[in-house]
Amino acid sequence: MNGISLFYIAFAYVAVAIFIIGFLARVWKYAKTPSPLNITLTPGPTSTTGVVYRMVQEVGFFKSLFYSNRIIWLGGYIMHLGLALVLIKHFRFFFTPAPASLAWITTFEAYAGFIFLAPLLFLFALRLITDRTYYISLITDYGILALLMLIAATGILTKYYVRTDIIDVKAFVMGIVSFSPAAMPMDFIFILHFTLVMLLLIYFPFSKLMHAGGIFFSPTRNQADDPREVRHVTPWAVKG
Amino acid sequence: MGFEFNGKFYETDDDGYLTNLDDWNQEVANYIAQQEGIEMTESHWEVVNFLRDYYSEYKIAPMIKILIKEMKKMFGPEKGNNAYLYQLYPAGPALQACKIAGLPKPTGCV
Amino acid sequence: MAEITKEELMTSAPKKKEPDKAPKLTGKIVKPKIVRGAAGHNKPYTAKPELMEKLGFPGQLVDNWQEAAIRKMGELLEKYKSLQVYMDICVRCGACTDKCQYFLSTKDPNNMPVGRAELFRKVYRRYFTREGKILGKIAGAVDFDLELLAEWYSYFHQCSQCRRCSVFCPYGIDTAEISMAAREIMDSIGLGEKYVVEVLGKVHDIGNNLGMNPKALENALEFVEEEIEEETGIPVKLPLDVEDAEVLLVTPSADFFASPHMESLVGYAKVFHQAGINWTFSTKASEAGNFGMFIGNYGQMKKVASRINDAIHELRPKRLVVGECGHAWRVAYQFWNTLIGPFDTLNPKYPRPQHIVEFTLDLINRGALVIDKSANDEFTVTFHDSCNVARATRMGDKPGGQFELPRELIKAVANNYVEMDAETIKAKTFCCGGGGGLLTDEIMEVRINGAMPRMQALHNVMETHGVNFMALICAICKAQFTAVFPKYGVPREVAGGIHQLVGRALVLGAKE
Repeated sequence: MNGISLFYIAFAYVAVAIFIIGFLARVWKYAKTPSPLNITLTPGPTSTTGVVYRMVQEVGFFKSLFYSNRIIWLGGYIMHLGLALVLIKHFRFFFTPAPASLAWITTFEAYAGFIFLAPLLFLFALRLITDRTYYISLITDYGILALLMLIAATGILTKYYVRTDIIDVKAFVMGIVSFSPAAMPMDFIFILHFTLVMLLLIYFPFSKLMHAGGIFFSPTRNQADDPREVRHVTPWAVKG
Repeated sequence: MGFEFNGKFYETDDDGYLTNLDDWNQEVANYIAQQEGIEMTESHWEVVNFLRDYYSEYKIAPMIKILIKEMKKMFGPEKGNNAYLYQLYPAGPALQACKIAGLPKPTGCV
Repeated sequence: MAEITKEELMTSAPKKKEPDKAPKLTGKIVKPKIVRGAAGHNKPYTAKPELMEKLGFPGQLVDNWQEAAIRKMGELLEKYKSLQVYMDICVRCGACTDKCQYFLSTKDPNNMPVGRAELFRKVYRRYFTREGKILGKIAGAVDFDLELLAEWYSYFHQCSQCRRCSVFCPYGIDTAEISMAAREIMDSIGLGEKYVVEVLGKVHDIGNNLGMNPKALENALEFVEEEIEEETGIPVKLPLDVEDAEVLLVTPSADFFASPHMESLVGYAKVFHQAGINWTFSTKASEAGNFGMFIGNYGQMKKVASRINDAIHELRPKRLVVGECGHAWRVAYQFWNTLIGPFDTLNPKYPRPQHIVEFTLDLINRGALVIDKSANDEFTVTFHDSCNVARATRMGDKPGGQFELPRELIKAVANNYVEMDAETIKAKTFCCGGGGGLLTDEIMEVRINGAMPRMQALHNVMETHGVNFMALICAICKAQFTAVFPKYGVPREVAGGIHQLVGRALVLGAKE
């Protein structure tokens, strides 16, 4: 095994550790910060089942965004859909043999990367075009989109244009997953793709990407509308 | 904040309402009215005097309805109404009449 | 924003000479192009030291204000999940950017919900996140300096905490929570808004927002009794501090003082009289409003609410009913149970607390009142959903009851009812423009602008359907519209309470 492989294997462990620990630490913080009052947005569900349904609609279909702005919804929803396809597709690298339940993904195999990349471009352009979103966009907002676009583009390249050997990639990834390292395919585009993904994982817990975990802790959406029936009690609020 | 008038300094709040009820007199009321672009007539004074009397008893300006009822008694039914009150004090009784009467500005959800 | 000194920040802006002009009524709500800094000159008067100190805040901007503000921010981030989560998860997608009444009218991008929230977030990122500490300006992390504090003071007092943005946000981010936290931080370093701080002081000293002492309150109630008797010949009573009554009615003190608020007071009294229900007001609980919420100060909110609890213990009513007031109903509905509950001494057969609309409609539905709808035939009525009622409370058992019950009640007492544009009602309603502690004259420009979307929708139904009465269930809405209608060329009398209509249609003495 060469030095580059060793470096990247170490890099991957560090990146994944930062991602997992960072993500969990952030979510743990959201979970343990008290919600002193019931501030649910009404009209809203009056029961826990209703809250779950509300959350499913938001997370699964971006319901509020749909009613708010169809164009942003279109870009955002397809982008996340593309991301989901791409992630599922990548599961094959983590299991031997690849699970049969993922066989359907081959239907989208060819397009997944594009379904992810195209809306990213669209969202990037949208930030520039509308004066309101241009005003609020930070450099990091463009940066994250750019990073995701590069990841998508290099991924597409490894598949269609420079054709990295899939068997080698799987051996490399399985090596990391099973803690018995194997050599990294020495393919520039693949290495670039892999590097960018690791950078994304490292940046994730420190960025707005935490919306992925944070949405479940949004009090306006995760509380039931029942303050008259159920006394909402948190320690500091009752004392304070 | 405040203003100088006849060689005396009158302390006011940010909106120009007298801070001390006892600072008030007819001359300074005339002066404040002038600043508001109002020329004090007998009817103006009647409203102002009623406001001051009410305030000295209840420590708050009367509700507009009470004022209007009183105006009915003072000026007769055809002038005892909201429209006439706003004719006297175009910016509203709370904003102008209380100010000229030297009362604090009523605040709250009003 | 230009360089600013501490003194300039603390000094109340001089009053403008020229009168505030209202936007033109075209019937359309247009998404404007942004105009940077267009509303930055607006700022409410700052509270004087003696007022601030009375509430336990520093009298004026403390020397180490930046350090103190950041410390306070850290404390609030630990105490409020909403604040912590909403600081982190905004992706700046832009969905909220065209949803706030203050942005739509002032065109100032800091009045876009996300623009406003970013004023807070840029400080948060600078002092509380690794991203901000490492990447700095690239990640939108900015030092908290006087210029930024001045922007805070201006723009966090151009938010009425109406929650409209939260409806449209994919994560439900509620700018109200952020603006409450910002005001809490500003108060804690000695920079308070005069209007709210003064009103809170009056509640603590005298018992209500207006500063109406028991003698004045008694006089006002007697006056209303005389008025009703003169008009109807029936001695309807407005009892005060009666022990062991069936119902304690807590209503905004504006109902005892202002117009058209008082017309609803007449309506309440007639309903209780005609239903034969023994009821009372309380001098101690002579205010339903709770301005503690506007400044995000939990202690103040609890202290104001505790007066209701004291009244319940002194007077021992069986039921607790709340009058027409938007944010008061939010505090009562969402917060009272936590702040001063549980209401064990109240009759569990009825909601604790109950809204006056729930109360009256229930009586009508049970046939306890005789109604002559034709008494309101001179009116074509529309209904403005108050922001806090619409998006932070409920009436009845079902979600959305806060929209349906008031409409049912209006239709039960008036024949002509017209709905405004669907994009401007119910959950999507616009704030009147004066909520959240903005109902003060020095920022009349903000108030006039904030009313614009509602005024456009109202203008439409006035033109097309001859609407001449907009029914309200909020003391702030009533005061705000009464003040801004003339600026838009709409008669003051178009604004009134639902119980004003109820009072007119209720047939007194017709039972048996």
